[in-house]
Amino acid sequence: MKITKYPFAVFSAALFTVMLITPISSIANLLWLSSVDMPVGFGSSLEVLLFDFQRLGIALYGVVILGFIVAFTVSGLIAKYTRLGGKYLYSVAGAFAIGLAMFLMVELMFQTELLGGNRTLLGKMLHWLAGFAGGYFYYSLISVERNFTFIIRFLGVLYSYFLLGIVLDWIFNPSNAATGFGFVLSELSNEGQNSLIRDFTSFFLATFLFSLLGAVTLNHAWFFSVSIIYFGAAIFNLSAIYIHGTGYNNIYLSEILLGLWPFILGIVISIKKS
Amino acid sequence: MKFNLFICILFFSSFSYSSYQYETVLDELDDAWSFVFLSEDKILYTEMPGALKVASLDDKSIVEVKNIPEVQYVSQGGLSEVILDPNFIENKKIYLSYSAKNSNNKSTLFLMSAELIGNELKNNKVIFEANAPRRTAVHLGAKIAFKQDGTLLLASGDGFDHREKAQKLDNHFGKIIRINTDGSIPMDNPFMGVEGALEDIYSYGHRNMQGLVVLPSGEIYEHEHGPRGGDEMNLIKPSINYGWPAITYGIDYSGAVISPFTEKEGMEQPLLHWTPSIAPSDMIFYEKDIYPEFTNTFLVTALVSKDVKKITFKDGKHNEESLFSDLNIRLRNIQASPSGIIYLLTDGPGGKLIKVIPKDL
Repeated sequence: MKITKYPFAVFSAALFTVMLITPISSIANLLWLSSVDMPVGFGSSLEVLLFDFQRLGIALYGVVILGFIVAFTVSGLIAKYTRLGGKYLYSVAGAFAIGLAMFLMVELMFQTELLGGNRTLLGKMLHWLAGFAGGYFYYSLISVERNFTFIIRFLGVLYSYFLLGIVLDWIFNPSNAATGFGFVLSELSNEGQNSLIRDFTSFFLATFLFSLLGAVTLNHAWFFSVSIIYFGAAIFNLSAIYIHGTGYNNIYLSEILLGLWPFILGIVISIKKS
Repeated sequence: MKFNLFICILFFSSFSYSSYQYETVLDELDDAWSFVFLSEDKILYTEMPGALKVASLDDKSIVEVKNIPEVQYVSQGGLSEVILDPNFIENKKIYLSYSAKNSNNKSTLFLMSAELIGNELKNNKVIFEANAPRRTAVHLGAKIAFKQDGTLLLASGDGFDHREKAQKLDNHFGKIIRINTDGSIPMDNPFMGVEGALEDIYSYGHRNMQGLVVLPSGEIYEHEHGPRGGDEMNLIKPSINYGWPAITYGIDYSGAVISPFTEKEGMEQPLLHWTPSIAPSDMIFYEKDIYPEFTNTFLVTALVSKDVKKITFKDGKHNEESLFSDLNIRLRNIQASPSGIIYLLTDGPGGKLIKVIPKDL
């Protein structure tokens, strides 16, 4: 099955670029914290990097996608109607897109630099370089024909990426994570807090890993495992509301969506294999 | 019958408990930022575009004061705080903070003294220019308060892009400044004679301070905007480092971690922090008894939560109560008149001055 590869190449190249851009701000920040004698160690560095990758990364992902759509469309037209083309055209376009996106973010945000890592010339150059690499990656994706596994892998990784934030919150900041689920952690007994943290962390970590394994191995069982867990959560959420009278909440809608996404991926893999 | 009686009791009890009456005293104010009472029925207020005006609360007449300094009205900058000298009745002196371009064409914070003679400022004198040049007029702080010894405190914000400089003593980003009314530096300032430090710095490690009050006891309280979360209220002491941005309870607007640390030895913890942010915008310590329920409490206006937080501290803990949330409007400033009537100033263009009518009036 041949696919329209270009949109997914943009999404993938943008994700790749975000992976390169995000640590620039994280590392710049960690270096500064170290310079003022803050106890920056492996754990705190990992916490900053992972959180930034998830939270800052999601915001950047949208910006980079928009920039790349424009830049690579223009590059495609240039390649089609001129003799210019090839990997360096897309690489330069990627660098330009990131540079312009960073510039516009400043101009649109009270003329202030929102990204800490983009405040120095070195930081700016690293951002352009990341855009250059993103353009190169995009070219490598479109230069060969892709099949459906490309989409499955991309959507699987994207799904895991969204779950990563919840996992990190439960690992590093359970009080904040619990608030999102309607708990005030400090008001629970020690046993209650322990149970909540271990069960929720395990729940989200498992589904995060299952979906990542599904994307890597293209084994539908991993995706179905995730969908069973979330569909189960939705069903028992509704039973809690309507049978046990816990009061209405609409979290079941998110649970259905989180179950449906891997379910569809699993179905597609199964059909293809059969 | 019992049910109806219950409903009646419930209705009247909630009505009498939660409701204050409001009266819009002035409206269509052009981005007004601060005000002070010249008398019970007359205020002096600033508008960010660069206007200082005297308004009568009786006949609603407004007169613009002449000879105002040129300000840079852009983003969060403009004509900001106005306060009266403690001896205003005798010397007619007022103090204005504002953002303007410095000699290098960079935006920074200025503090000016002047005499309000009639409807004109005279003997204008810039008594402080912050060594905090920035591209854009944001995070200026700009709050002013008098200490009981007659010296002035000025809040100078971190400039957003320059947050790391709040930890250095060679600049005015993220600092509370203490100077004399003529601009000279008091000899007992905490960093006097400290190598590499600006001698007018009183405390440091602040972000964007929006509330600064000195209590009759001499204690100085301040609050400041955090980023996403981490708005703080602090008890200000000389030479103390309040930690921004090395320790914070907030994260960046972009979602990035500013610091994974919330405490460190040598850095002061806030008295309280608001996470998520309420965007505190001003603060008074209410000492009068027109509203007995507010006496000896802090009243903090907020932009995001659109209310006033009544805050009390006892035995190391704080208690907080939301007031006037039925107004449902971004509140920029709060003052009590000489007799103790509370007035609220709303934020932005088309602003209003709202009088909170005490329950028993």
